Amino acid sequence: MIRNKKNFFIHSLLSIYTRWLLKRTFHQFSFNQLDVDPNKSILLISNHFSFWDALIAYKINRKLLRKKFHVMVREDTTLHLHSLKYGGAFSVSKKSRDMVESLNYAAELLHDPKNLVLMFPQGKLHSNFVEQINFEKGIMRIIERSGGNFQLVFAATFIQYFRSKKPSITTYLKNEEYHGQSLEELQSAYQQHYDIAKREQTEIVI
Amino acid sequence: MIPQRRSAFVHKLFMPYLAYRLRKAFNVLKHDEVEIMPGHSILLLCNHFSWWDGFWAGQLTHTYLHRDFYIMMQEDHIKKRMFFNLLGGFSINRESKEVVRSLQYAANLLSDPKNLVTVFPQGALLSNHSDEINIERGIDYIVKKIDGNCQIIYYSAFIDYFESLKPSVYFHFLNCGTNHDFDCEKVRALINAHHKKALKAQVNAAH
Repeated sequence: MIRNKKNFFIHSLLSIYTRWLLKRTFHQFSFNQLDVDPNKSILLISNHFSFWDALIAYKINRKLLRKKFHVMVREDTTLHLHSLKYGGAFSVSKKSRDMVESLNYAAELLHDPKNLVLMFPQGKLHSNFVEQINFEKGIMRIIERSGGNFQLVFAATFIQYFRSKKPSITTYLKNEEYHGQSLEELQSAYQQHYDIAKREQTEIVI
Repeated sequence: MIPQRRSAFVHKLFMPYLAYRLRKAFNVLKHDEVEIMPGHSILLLCNHFSWWDGFWAGQLTHTYLHRDFYIMMQEDHIKKRMFFNLLGGFSINRESKEVVRSLQYAANLLSDPKNLVTVFPQGALLSNHSDEINIERGIDYIVKKIDGNCQIIYYSAFIDYFESLKPSVYFHFLNCGTNHDFDCEKVRALINAHHKKALKAQVNAAH
């Protein structure tokens, strides 16, 4: 398992690069406001359709949530992009026992109210057009071991073009009260949020 | 109405530039196969959700459908970009009385089997996620006025990213038959069913 590393210098460079990259690549970036509890860490759950998802969440964190950013990424990507660990990435591998270690590590991070952990419970890349979001089991382990002092935030991201040459991003954020839901209940709560967001995206006419 | 002034020379110069721009902006343009009838002109219908739609249609025509490209554009849009006039753009203004003239003009172009006319049947920019394709009545008018053989092809285009930093475009083609057995209601139902199926297929797209 590769853990995230602290390095002020590299982190600043990555941050500047990310900002520049997002600005260059996308036409518009919008997300809704959200109340953030300063005494709680944040577990951010998002749909996963591209490499950009983590960078999008990074920007939302910088603008709105203001926590220390951490993201769980697949081991095969981290090996290629070793510098990502300075941006808060830590690895998870699906097959080995490593996975338990990674999940425990994520849970540990949630104990500190300054932290944010981003997770893609779908476990791999899917189309932006999926209707059904399936959660893998790992997320429950994180939640169970985290001590319960976290704020659960759902994010649903969509890409649209319309009049611009460059794509625009819309992220729908929602606070979800966590009070011991099971995996299925959590999944259906996310699904509900995702459906509302998707419908709103579908109905746009210019 | 602004008629097209298609120039083979300008077209020849523009296509490599378009290919370059598409390569820069997109990872791949992936399309499935459709039966292209020889000796037929093509009326190409597509979903309209972005700035790029016309360019994709142009590129697909150039690389796959192999016809002379013409496109129906909104009058206020083409007025600002008269260059597209040289690439086969002609105007339609839905508010004016000349709308019939534009439709007739499209039909005349389609009477020649080496031509292809692209029309966005929705008549507006819609979300890429939208699951309903509205076919305006104008299409019916165009097809009825065609003199000769014309094949009607529809595609749904979708943007998806997957592993790449750049988006990819996935085209799902549908053969809607020819102008001789054209029935607007039937084609509308066919296209909507195809679009819904394509949305489902997109979820399982190979990447």
